[in-house]
Amino acid sequence: MISSINKDIMPENWYNVVPDLPEPLAPPKDSKSEFSSINLLNKILPKEILKQEFTFRRYEKIPDEVIEQYKQIGRPTPLIRAKNLEKFLNYNGKIFYKYEGATATGSHKINTAIPQAYYARNEGVNGVTTETGAGQWGSATALAASLYKLPAQIFMVRISFEQKPLRKIVMNLYNGNVVPSPSNLTEYGRRVLKEHPDTPGTLGIGISEAIEYALDHDYRYMVASVMNVALTHQSVVGQEAKKQLELLGEHADVLIGCVGGGSNFGGFTFPFIPDNPDTEIIATTADEVPKFSKGEYKYDLMDTAGVLPEMRMYSLGADFVPPTIYAGGLRYHGASPSLSLLINKGRIKSDEVTQEEVTEALRIFANTQGIIAAPESGHAIATMLKYVKEHKNDKKTIVVNVSGHGLLDMSIFGDKP
Amino acid sequence: MKNLIPYFTLGYPDNETLMKFLKVIPVNKINYLEFGFPSNDPRYDGPVIRETHKIGNKNFRDDLYDEFFSYFHKNGIKMYSLSYYSDIKPRFSEFIDYLQTRNFSGIIIPDLIIDYYSEAKDTIDYLNKNGFEYIPFFSPATPDKIITGISELTDSWIYYGLQPSTGIDIPYELDYTTERINSLLPGREITYGFGIKTEEDIKSLMRNGGSGVAIGTYLEKMLEKNDEGGFLGYIDKMRGVLDA
Repeated sequence: MISSINKDIMPENWYNVVPDLPEPLAPPKDSKSEFSSINLLNKILPKEILKQEFTFRRYEKIPDEVIEQYKQIGRPTPLIRAKNLEKFLNYNGKIFYKYEGATATGSHKINTAIPQAYYARNEGVNGVTTETGAGQWGSATALAASLYKLPAQIFMVRISFEQKPLRKIVMNLYNGNVVPSPSNLTEYGRRVLKEHPDTPGTLGIGISEAIEYALDHDYRYMVASVMNVALTHQSVVGQEAKKQLELLGEHADVLIGCVGGGSNFGGFTFPFIPDNPDTEIIATTADEVPKFSKGEYKYDLMDTAGVLPEMRMYSLGADFVPPTIYAGGLRYHGASPSLSLLINKGRIKSDEVTQEEVTEALRIFANTQGIIAAPESGHAIATMLKYVKEHKNDKKTIVVNVSGHGLLDMSIFGDKP
Repeated sequence: MKNLIPYFTLGYPDNETLMKFLKVIPVNKINYLEFGFPSNDPRYDGPVIRETHKIGNKNFRDDLYDEFFSYFHKNGIKMYSLSYYSDIKPRFSEFIDYLQTRNFSGIIIPDLIIDYYSEAKDTIDYLNKNGFEYIPFFSPATPDKIITGISELTDSWIYYGLQPSTGIDIPYELDYTTERINSLLPGREITYGFGIKTEEDIKSLMRNGGSGVAIGTYLEKMLEKNDEGGFLGYIDKMRGVLDA
């Protein structure tokens, strides 16, 4: 295990993949004719975040204060060789996992929540707001806001709010205010509730509500994923993993991660792209949200209300309402533009796994490695198990990103864990 | 002399007003002219220019502007077409013929390397063979290798958009932007556009080696208001800033 024993593992810069993409990233597109939704970002995002969203800098210096907070919440996270799992699978190669569940909030989400709250605090705004699916992003937002003494208003997708009551308690403990989305706090939420009173909610609706709230209360919107800036902040995951592998004298043949909007996946894999052209990279989504196989690569809305600019990405349509799968973080209709481009150009492959495969993968991982991974991460583990089965004699080194723990998601196992 | 490049969408706000402004534009104070041929989907333009395309599409008549194209050509003003590949692709060679017979020097195609990257090289080769300048259009989102690779295919000047769309105001690092493009394309003529607002911006861009600026959104607003005095004053002022 290589973790905090070496302080040099933590990077001093975030890595931005945009200058290294094989083709130009299509810019955001205004979705309305009467006003610029791109200019609207000026009102809802901290200026520094906006600058980082559109920067072409390959490396962005991480502020010292943010580095200190990264250390406080558990960075660097461990890279662990899963020897028990290798033995269980009778695999001739090596399996490593980067464990983001070791952070204070139990997932990678805190990696971007901290800098976003930091920049918002520096601008002296009234507070921060966001949406959350499974509650991991909401927890990270609530903690980051609390660290910088900012109020946090969180819109939690209703189905997750009902399925995961403990997450609400966590967010409340961090002084976050949480409501199920759609809610009565916004005009958009009220309209959705009137038209679809039984809706389970979606991340798209939650985003729309948070943006409206930010505009009405001089709050700043916290970007969970999809936008490039979130992937850039998450690059601490991949940069650490690269360094940890280097210290072990290992080379990643295969990288596997799960995709909701793409932040943990991009953060984990993108730092490998410039100098590891032969590394196979696989993005896993939920079978119930088949954005890469059934979605279209096109300009589409990031949010359901159409307030934010359109992005070119793989999308199932902004009005897509996925089945109520347990991995709330994977229910988003699209994927980040940079990841979508890399999938479209064939640099990154994709896979889909069913909830049954995920549950089984989580069981195997828990029984061999002792880690109860988040349902979202279970998708990456399930793909890794499939990969090992298909490449049993290849002796490859596989690295999988376990983006969070699942200790608050135990009901995925039903009555028979 | 640094280049001042006014931009107009043909047919906006109406043919009569645009022709009135084209008649008075001081040819001794500008270097090139950029004409937007109205697009059905000006996707990389901001709300103001998008609106000009929408209206221009209704008004534009290609027979009305020939005398102006001829006039500017005779006065040594190079003319460039701003056209979206999505519009001209079905009749590309015909459109290039049309521009060449009207003495245009080249074309800016904002969507070519973003939406039609696989067709970019052949398209640029075609233009080179026909002696027509292809003006590479880059933005902060253009990867380094694309900037150098596409620029090698042409000797012409480079159009660098500072913002994701025209008339947008996203914070950016001006010095770092110019440093990056200068280091990627040493010695190339770089013209900046998209969202340039202040005189100080222009001064900084020129100080950092820029060869000129393209101004669109600000001028189109003056055309909309039929503000001929303001328009002439602005051109005069920009010339002064570039010459300072």
